[in-house]
Amino acid sequence: MTELHTARTNPPWEGLEGSERHAACVIAAREGHKEALDVLVAELTPLVWHIARGTGLERAAAEDVVQTVWLALVRHVDKVTEPKAVAGWLITTTRREANRTRQRGSAQVELSPEVAEHVPSTEPQPEAEALRTERDHRLWSAFHRLDQRCQELLRLTVLAGRAEYRAVAEAMRMPHGSIGPTRGRCLNSLRALYDDGDGGR
Amino acid sequence: MRTMDDYEMDPAEQEFWLAQVARLVDELDPVPPGLVERSQFAIAIEDIDAEVELEAARWADQRPLVGVRGGAPGTITFFVGDLTVMVNVTRTGERQRIDGWLVPAGEHGVEVRVADHGSTATTADEGGRFVLTEVPRGTTQILVRMNGGKPRTVVTPTVEL
Repeated sequence: MTELHTARTNPPWEGLEGSERHAACVIAAREGHKEALDVLVAELTPLVWHIARGTGLERAAAEDVVQTVWLALVRHVDKVTEPKAVAGWLITTTRREANRTRQRGSAQVELSPEVAEHVPSTEPQPEAEALRTERDHRLWSAFHRLDQRCQELLRLTVLAGRAEYRAVAEAMRMPHGSIGPTRGRCLNSLRALYDDGDGGR
Repeated sequence: MRTMDDYEMDPAEQEFWLAQVARLVDELDPVPPGLVERSQFAIAIEDIDAEVELEAARWADQRPLVGVRGGAPGTITFFVGDLTVMVNVTRTGERQRIDGWLVPAGEHGVEVRVADHGSTATTADEGGRFVLTEVPRGTTQILVRMNGGKPRTVVTPTVEL
């Protein structure tokens, strides 16, 4: 057993933050440090989850996508050309995997027009019973009437604004605390859709 | 009713709407409990060999059998590339029996990993059929080690069985 694998040695990512920390994990994972992968999974699963959900996948399908993306990282950890950009790699891989799953789903569950008419909504479901108030329902419904680009951008903006997701802000090349014109437009749309929920307030 | 381009939001109002999105992210659509642990289990595969290609299989869409994903016994299917694996799960007391069928057939290695219970392995017969008995219940992952041609290992996302 090499020094790297002994539990008492401080892991190489200790004390690092954001993309520096994730880069250290990627490099350690290449050298066979299994704990390094667990750190990435623990810290970046919310990013992968919200990208997958932002494409409109149901929760069960999004769970499978999350695991598939992590398996892809294990498989390709040597091919992540820029370890510092692993958050960006995860975003791209998750979008691709989620879209593949969505395409397969719609191809297999082709509904006849008569049946489709009776399917209430294609709006993905929230966490069971999460929508407790009228306000929750309106927010959920308004958010899911945004275009997908806005849904993803706003989910990521929330994550990127938090210290532990500094790497997401870096992957999005987003200065800390900035909203930016595109995000501003998405928030405007969200407000308008929310207000439409009861015909304006 | 106002349209979305009526006026620029001031920073305070942007903050308000961003806080609404944060509520959606954290409370209405949180990361499912245990997903981090299930993902960590799914990638903690021993003997990953640089020479052997690792492929992630996908569970087929089980919408008509949604109960299966919730833990009731039944048939589930996963696939990757040209390989399809059908798995039938039958309860046997506290444990369960797994009958599987690989298409195309081949005498491939099959391993079933169950979180906190180690793994059970067998080899499919020439017709592609395999049986594992006394498999513990829990968070389960199936691996198929394909022999013949370029060696590759197919792994599934976890499923609660």
